Amino acid sequence: MALERDWYACDGKGHAEVPAPRVTPSVSRRGLITGAGLGAISWLGASSSLAQLTVGQGGGNHDVLVSIFLRGGMDGLNAVVPYADDHYHRARPVLRVGAPNDSKAAERAIDLDGFFGLNPALAPLLPLYRDGELALIHACGSGDQTRSHFEAMNTMERGLNGVSEGSSSGWLARHLVGTPRERATPLRAVAFGRTTPDALRGATESIVLETLDDFRLDIEQPREAGVLAALKDLYAEGGDPLTHAGRETLQVLDSLNRLDPKSYRPSAGAYPDSDLGRALKQVAFLVKADVGLEVACVDKGGWDTHYGQNLAGLLTGLLDDLAKSMAAFAADLGPHLRKTTVVVQTEFGRRLRENQSLGTDHGRGSVMFVMGGSAVGGKVYGKWPGLSDAQLDEVGDLRVTTDYRAVLAEVLDMRMSPAQGSGVFDGNVGPPLGLIG
Amino acid sequence: MPSRRDLLKLSAAAGVAALLPACAQVARRLPKREVPEDLTPRLASAPAKRLLDRAAFGPRPGEVAQVEAQGLENWLEAQLTEKASEDLRLKAQLMRLDVLRNEGMELRDIPEDIMLRQLNQAAILRACYSENQLFERMVDLWSNHFNIYARKGLASYRKAEDEKEVIRKHALGKFPDMLRASARSPAMLAYLDNQFSNKGAPNENYARELLELHTMGVDGGYTQRDVREVARCFTGWSIGRGLLHKGAFRFSSDDHDVGEKIVLGNRIPPGGGVEDGQKVLDILAARPETASFVAGKLCRHFLGDPQHAMRPRLAAIYSGSGGDIKAMLRTLLLSEDLLAGLPVAKRPFDYLVSAIRATGAETDASQPLQQHLTKMGQSLYEWPMPDGYPDGAAPWTGSLLARWNFAIALADGQIRGTDTQVAELMDRTGELTPAAAAEALIHQRPPSPAKIKPATAQEAIALTLAAPEFQWR
Repeated sequence: MALERDWYACDGKGHAEVPAPRVTPSVSRRGLITGAGLGAISWLGASSSLAQLTVGQGGGNHDVLVSIFLRGGMDGLNAVVPYADDHYHRARPVLRVGAPNDSKAAERAIDLDGFFGLNPALAPLLPLYRDGELALIHACGSGDQTRSHFEAMNTMERGLNGVSEGSSSGWLARHLVGTPRERATPLRAVAFGRTTPDALRGATESIVLETLDDFRLDIEQPREAGVLAALKDLYAEGGDPLTHAGRETLQVLDSLNRLDPKSYRPSAGAYPDSDLGRALKQVAFLVKADVGLEVACVDKGGWDTHYGQNLAGLLTGLLDDLAKSMAAFAADLGPHLRKTTVVVQTEFGRRLRENQSLGTDHGRGSVMFVMGGSAVGGKVYGKWPGLSDAQLDEVGDLRVTTDYRAVLAEVLDMRMSPAQGSGVFDGNVGPPLGLIG
Repeated sequence: MPSRRDLLKLSAAAGVAALLPACAQVARRLPKREVPEDLTPRLASAPAKRLLDRAAFGPRPGEVAQVEAQGLENWLEAQLTEKASEDLRLKAQLMRLDVLRNEGMELRDIPEDIMLRQLNQAAILRACYSENQLFERMVDLWSNHFNIYARKGLASYRKAEDEKEVIRKHALGKFPDMLRASARSPAMLAYLDNQFSNKGAPNENYARELLELHTMGVDGGYTQRDVREVARCFTGWSIGRGLLHKGAFRFSSDDHDVGEKIVLGNRIPPGGGVEDGQKVLDILAARPETASFVAGKLCRHFLGDPQHAMRPRLAAIYSGSGGDIKAMLRTLLLSEDLLAGLPVAKRPFDYLVSAIRATGAETDASQPLQQHLTKMGQSLYEWPMPDGYPDGAAPWTGSLLARWNFAIALADGQIRGTDTQVAELMDRTGELTPAAAAEALIHQRPPSPAKIKPATAQEAIALTLAAPEFQWR
């Protein structure tokens, strides 16, 4: 897939496009914070009838799966900090996040389990972690060794482990194709963005929307009602799949029209004014609108922190947005969270040792998040490989000890009612971690 | 609890919004059959129209009468045997496309997205405007049969040559010839990872898809052992690098496994070279399972049912004629089953092209038009799996909103690069009501006039194109 230019700050493979500047902390790197946005959606103040909708209508026997892909390679080591490991502090004299009681550190981690701590920018996720609704999986990733954004993303979205062969279809597409549902909804799988993500390639049932506004009859207001009425008449009778789907589509258009995404207000919490916040707000809306949403794909870019990672709030800004958006989403869903599972992944982590530009280069293992009503949270999963020279890989990166597919497979198996042997992932992905209960 | 159907009927006047409940309590009946029995009477159209819908990409204004005057058999025979030269306008449009003018290596500076756009442009233009309609439809069918995902590796740069040397060269020829050309196609070899397959590490991808998707079919009765042996036969079938070979097919004898192989009970003696793979292709092309599988593909595309009763007959024709595609089509296309049988669902590409043809629109098939096809989910050459875009109604149920939006945009003349000339159309049909005009133009009895009252000709055309009837052929 074409990489969005704002996802990464290098040439794609980890090499600077211009010689990387040596950075001293006093230089402002605000220019590094890239991230072109979608148009702002103005959410009007009217109250929404969605707040009155109760859980458990329609829905079927599976969750709504929300896949958040952090593009650019999120630095897992600074997100979920192994603060008790000395090697971490020695390798990152400037960038490190200190232990909870480290008075000398610029930032201090929030203790999670005595070894790991949460980057303070992720504080909004702490209550979810403590309540058992958020699970973290460290040293997680794919077998891809290229450290190329394109290759690594491609591998992950196809549900492969790092060999270049294997199906070109996306893992979510294979899930959709393998689990035909009774309901012929046009909104079964929605990707918020401009192009079909690779994870959804190979499924005819997915659509791409920049905003929910895109899912409407593309006709001026005065004519819209008349044409909709005519279509309803035209599609009123008939038992074949297309006519049936026509009725379903009209009903969804109707629901969206009536429930009006633009005036939607979350039932609790407040979303940040960011692309991610807006996208998740729309996902929450769709969940509550009961239009048959099963899979939602959302991206957040800008994680390729090669330069000045801790300057001008570069990484902390990204983590802050992620945490606030996810927390707002969870709060907004309320009881719907019981039947929602959010998976957050990134194509690779970043090198342990900070570089000369006070940033980090492409690495391997990073952190995955699983959030939902069924998550067995409050724990950092995965086998910690350690950060000594002998324990890192040949290049100096955090080893991958948990195949990312083990996490995805467990989510699919436990929450998405897959068909027998759906064949989403080839080969052995490793045993389930027990993070869904 | 009233059924959804009752609710919709009742609510037509009152406004649906008030009556549709927000929750999903209303029982949803699964459609029992793929085909629209209710629509069949309305779709039972003149045989000439049916033939143009099935064998061509739908009639242009006035074309049904033309074919009737010419006679169906004559029309079909001309389509099968004559190769009409392209009209100048189409030629000029195609000439402008780098992807058709230049060789693979010369295209390397062009971004992949542009390559894809041009490939789509060529296909849409040809389907809309070529006089060799049956040929272009078969190109579409075989291109999906031998599917290549243009976004994998350098495929978008190689696909045009594959389209020319494999698909377009043999679309109305003999299937075994097309199969042989496909096995040597750099685009195919790269897509299915055969280019590095060697005796130390034979790659089974091409071998597997050759058996499962190109020839015998997944139920063809071959074994995993056969897949491995076939893979061994194709070791060395690769792509040349360097100036001399310039990305063309190259057999690398160094990489070839020269041991003895047994494929489907046939012994391939040791010491062979490129002929090992060639023998496999001969064997596969001649198998009755292949005859049946190919016949099934034709039945699926032309009759809407891969297990149609006509399948054994078509398979027999394949076997008796060395895989002659024309021979199979002659029997198939003039059959009662096709001309008077149940309708077949239009895939998005079919739908879009038939709408352009039906309205006599003039398009350059550029990005604004392609956007609609993309939203419908069938941007050409972008299906990642080797099995090609699915056929049938069920896979395409999500494309309806995109189809409706296309119909509205087309009828309104809102697609940049596409000129619908509704006013001119109205002139041609004279003083008719909008609904009747739509019928005259699109040869469909418009949906029951009492139900819809289009205000303008544009609206009549938009609704006719959006209606259930136009989703079938």
